[in-house]
Amino acid sequence: MNHSQDVTRILFEGFQPQAIYLFYVLGFTSIAVFAYGVYVQIRKYRRGQPDASWGHFWTRFVDMFKTMMTHRTLKRRDKSAGRAHALIFFGFVLLFLGTATITLEYDFLEPIFGIRFWYGDFYLWFSLVLDLAGAALVGGLLYMMYRRKWLKLPKLDYQRPDRQPEDPDYDRSAYRREDWAFLWTLIIIGITGFMLEAARLVWLIDNAAIWETRWWSPVGALMAEAMLLLGFTAESAGIFRTGMWWFHGVLALTFIALIPYTKVKHIFTASASLMFRDPLAGRRLPAVPEDQETIGVKTITDFTWKQLLHLDACTKCGRCHEACPANAVGAPLSPRDVILSLREFANNALQKNELPDEVELDVHGKDVGQVFMETLWSCRTCMACVEICPVAVEHVPIIVQMRRKLVDEGNMEPILQKTLQSIHKNGNSMGESKRKRPRWTKDLPFTIKDARKEPVDVMWFVGDYASFDPRNQVVTQSFAKLMHQAGVNFGLLYEAEMNAGNDVRRVGEEGLYEFLATANISTLEQCEFNSIVTTDPHSFNTIRNEYPDFGGQFEIQHYTTLLKQLFEQGKLKLKQKLDYRVTFHDPCHLGRYNKGYDAPRELIQLLGCELVEMDRNRDNSFCCGAGGGRIWIPDPVGLEKPSENRMREAGEIEGLDVFIVSCPKDLTMFEDALKTAGFEGKFVVKELIELVNECVEFDETVTIDAEIVSA
Amino acid sequence: MKILVAVKEVAALDEDFEIRDDRLDVDEDFLLYDLNEWDDFSLEEAMQIKESADIDVEVVVVSVGPDRVEESLRKCLAKGADRAIRVWDDAMEGSDAVTIGRMLAAVVEKEKPDMVFAGVQSSDNADAATGISLAAQLNWPHAAVVAGLEYQPGSSTAKATRELEGGLSQQVEVGCPAVLTIQLGINSPRYASLRGIKQAAAKPIEEWSLDQLGMTTDEVGSAAALAHVRRMYIPEKGMATMIGGTPAEQAAKLAEIIKEFRGE
Repeated sequence: MNHSQDVTRILFEGFQPQAIYLFYVLGFTSIAVFAYGVYVQIRKYRRGQPDASWGHFWTRFVDMFKTMMTHRTLKRRDKSAGRAHALIFFGFVLLFLGTATITLEYDFLEPIFGIRFWYGDFYLWFSLVLDLAGAALVGGLLYMMYRRKWLKLPKLDYQRPDRQPEDPDYDRSAYRREDWAFLWTLIIIGITGFMLEAARLVWLIDNAAIWETRWWSPVGALMAEAMLLLGFTAESAGIFRTGMWWFHGVLALTFIALIPYTKVKHIFTASASLMFRDPLAGRRLPAVPEDQETIGVKTITDFTWKQLLHLDACTKCGRCHEACPANAVGAPLSPRDVILSLREFANNALQKNELPDEVELDVHGKDVGQVFMETLWSCRTCMACVEICPVAVEHVPIIVQMRRKLVDEGNMEPILQKTLQSIHKNGNSMGESKRKRPRWTKDLPFTIKDARKEPVDVMWFVGDYASFDPRNQVVTQSFAKLMHQAGVNFGLLYEAEMNAGNDVRRVGEEGLYEFLATANISTLEQCEFNSIVTTDPHSFNTIRNEYPDFGGQFEIQHYTTLLKQLFEQGKLKLKQKLDYRVTFHDPCHLGRYNKGYDAPRELIQLLGCELVEMDRNRDNSFCCGAGGGRIWIPDPVGLEKPSENRMREAGEIEGLDVFIVSCPKDLTMFEDALKTAGFEGKFVVKELIELVNECVEFDETVTIDAEIVSA
Repeated sequence: MKILVAVKEVAALDEDFEIRDDRLDVDEDFLLYDLNEWDDFSLEEAMQIKESADIDVEVVVVSVGPDRVEESLRKCLAKGADRAIRVWDDAMEGSDAVTIGRMLAAVVEKEKPDMVFAGVQSSDNADAATGISLAAQLNWPHAAVVAGLEYQPGSSTAKATRELEGGLSQQVEVGCPAVLTIQLGINSPRYASLRGIKQAAAKPIEEWSLDQLGMTTDEVGSAAALAHVRRMYIPEKGMATMIGGTPAEQAAKLAEIIKEFRGE
C-alpha cells in the first residue's frame, strides 16, 4: 500500500501566480463561451412548438443510459465504427471524470475542507486508468481517421440526391472540413496530453516518488524513455513541458468552448435525442388537436422543440442514407439530407437574437436551404431510416408533418388527388363501388358470416388490395378457406369496411384519415367480436397502433401469427411438405413497424421450405416502394423501382424457387417487378398463404373449384 | 368586385345500377353525388383571379338543388370561396336547364357580380345549356367552352380562348360583365383537404327560396320544363366478338360467321 502524499501530481508545479491567474481567466472565458452557446441552442429549441415528451423522465433516462453504455445502436450495421466510437466515448468520459475529480479536490474539497485524496494508491490507479483511457481515445480516433480517409464509404461522401452539383447548397465540404477539424483537434489534445505527461516525468526524473512510479502511466513512461533516448535532459524537458502545458491547455479549453457551436455538441444533443425518443415514432403518427387551426409543418417554428433537437442530434453517420429505398434508386431523397437541410435552416433562422419574419421561416420551396416537394413525395415511409438511426432521429414523422402541409395546399400529383377524393367518396382506393368490396366471397363454397349481424370470435378486416385486386382476391379466398377449415368462427364487415387509412395518413391527408378511422371504429364498435385478424400489414399497423388515439381499442393480429397458432393447436394439418428453395421479404408494416419477423419464418420452416435470407432482411428489409401512398403515385420513368432493386437482390440467390411475401401490396408490386426486372420464369412471387394452402389438408367441402378462382 | 360561380352537384352511376320502376330515371339508391367536374375548373379560375388580383375579389358559389348539395358547396368553401348560396324549393324538382338559367339570372340580379362562370356542361345531363341560357336571360355577353382566359378584375373586357372542334382555338373579346362557360383543363383545380372541408362546415350556406328569387311555383319544376323525359333505358349491346385461336382457326371461324350472316 502506498500512502505517500508525495506520490501525486502537483498542479501548476513551477508556475508563477500570474500564470495560474491567466489560466483561470482562460478557463472561465471558455466556460462563458460554452454557456452562451448552450443558451443560444436552448433558445433555438424553445422557439419550436411544445411537445409532451417530458413524461416518464426516469425511465427515459435509464433507457438512454443503457443505450449509451452498450453502444447498441452505434454498433448496428457498422461494428467497427461502433467499437471505435466506444473507445473514443469511454476514453473521453474517463478523462472527463478524471479531470473533474482533480477539480473537485483542488478547487473545492481541499481549499474549503482541507480534504485530499489524490495521492498514493488512488493516484497510481487513477494514473493507470486515465492513461489507458487516453490510449483508447487516440486509438479510436486513429481508426476513424483511417475510415474517413481510406475506406471511401459512400455513406460518408455527403453527396446529395436532392440537389444538383451546380446548386448553391449542394456543397457539403464544410461538413467534411468540420469532421477533420474535430478528429484532429481531439487527437492532438490526446497526444499532447501524453507528451506533456512524458515531459513532466523527464523533468522530475530526480524525484524518486515520481520517477519510481512512472510505469503506472505506461504510455507516458514509454514516451519519457523515448525522450531520454532523444537526448532530453531534466532542464530541457522542463522547458518543453511548459510549452506543451499551455498548448494542451489552451487547445482543450478551446475545444470545450466550441462544443455548442460545432458537431461536438452531439455529445449532448444525441444523448437528449435518445432520451426523448418516441418508441412508437412513425408507427403512430401524431394526431391533430381538434382546436388546432393549421395543420402540418410550414415554417421551421412549426416543428416541436423535440424535433429541432433531433435535427441537431444527427452526426451524419449515413446509416439512414444507406438504408433508404428512395435514395437507393436515385430518387431525390436522402433522410440524412432532409435532416441536415432542416438543421441548417434552423441554425440560420433560429439562432438569431430576433426571430425573422414568417416568410423567411418557410421550409417548403425551391430556394436555398428549403426542402423540395419532390423530396418529400419520394418518401415511402418504410421506416428504414428511423429504425437504424443510432441517435433516435425520427425522420418519418418529420416528413409526414411536412407532407400534411403540402396536402393542405394541394401540392401533390393530380393522380394522388384523384385517389384521395375517390377514397373519400367510395371508402376505397381502387375507385370501385362500395358494393363490390365483398364480391370475392361469392365464389366461395361457404358463406362467411356478416359480423354486423351476428357475433363472431374473429373479425376479419380485409383491406382494399385484398378485397378488390383480382390477383390478391385469390389469396384472400385461400385465407378464407384456411380459416373455415380450421373452424374459426369469423366474419366480415362486408360493404361497411372502409380503407383503414394507414397510407392515407402517411400521405399526410390527416382529415381523410380521421374520417376513415372514426368511420371504421364506429362500425367495428357496433359489432360483437373478440379480436381482429387481417392479411394486410398496413391495416394491421394503423388499427393496432393508431386507432387507440381515436378511441378504437382492438386486439388485432396479422394472419401469420393466427395461422401459426392454428397449426400449434392442431386445427390445421399438413398433408404434404414443400421442398422449395425460398426467400422471404419482410413487409415494412409487419416487420420494422411491428416486429413481426418470426411468425412468417416459422410458418415457412413448418412447410418444409428451405429459407435462404436475402442480405437485407428483418429490420433491414428493403421496401417494395408502395408505402406512404407511393402505390398511388406512378414512379418516374427511367429510374429503377425499389421493387426491381429487390428482385435483383433475390435473383442473386442460387436456385431460388419462390419469393415469399405476406402483404397484398407486396404481391402486386413484386409480381410486377418480377416481369420488369426480367426474372419471369426464373422464380415466382407468392403469398405465404398460397404456400400454406398447397400443404394443408382440406375436408372436401372446403375445396374451391380452382377454375373459378383463376378465372 | 365579385365573381359568381354557378355549380351543380351531379349524379354518377354506381356499379350494377337499376332503372326506376317508372322507367324515367335511375333508381336513386344507385347514384353517387359529387360536384360536377367542370365546376372544379370554373371555381379554380375564379379563385386564381381572386388570388392574383390587387383589389378585393369576392367569389360566390351558387347552386340550385336539395339539401345534399350542401356537401358540394362546402367543398367549394373549403377551396376558398367566400360565400355559398343554395337555391331550393321542392317545387323546383325536375326543372330544365332554361328554368335553372332563369333562376340563376334572378340570383345574378340580386348579387350583381362583375363576372359569372359556369361549367361548359354537367356530366349527368350533358345539356350544356344552363350557362348560355343564363346569359340569354340576362342579355349579357357570353363565351362558351372557354379554355383560356385573360381577365383583370374590374376591366371592361375579357379575352377568352374558346376551344373549337378539330383542334382549333378561337380568341374572343367579350364585354364585361359576361357569362363564360369554362372548359376542362383550363387550369389545375386545387385539392380540398378533408380538414378544409370540415373547417368550412362553420361557414354558413345561404338558402334562397322561390320568394327571394321573385318567382312562383308554376314558373319552375317539371311543369315549366320545355322537354320531358319519356323513357330511360340501357340500349342493347352491339354484337362484337373476339375470335381466338391460330390464324387458320380465326379465318375458318370468320368464314363461318359470314356464311351465317348471309343466311347460307
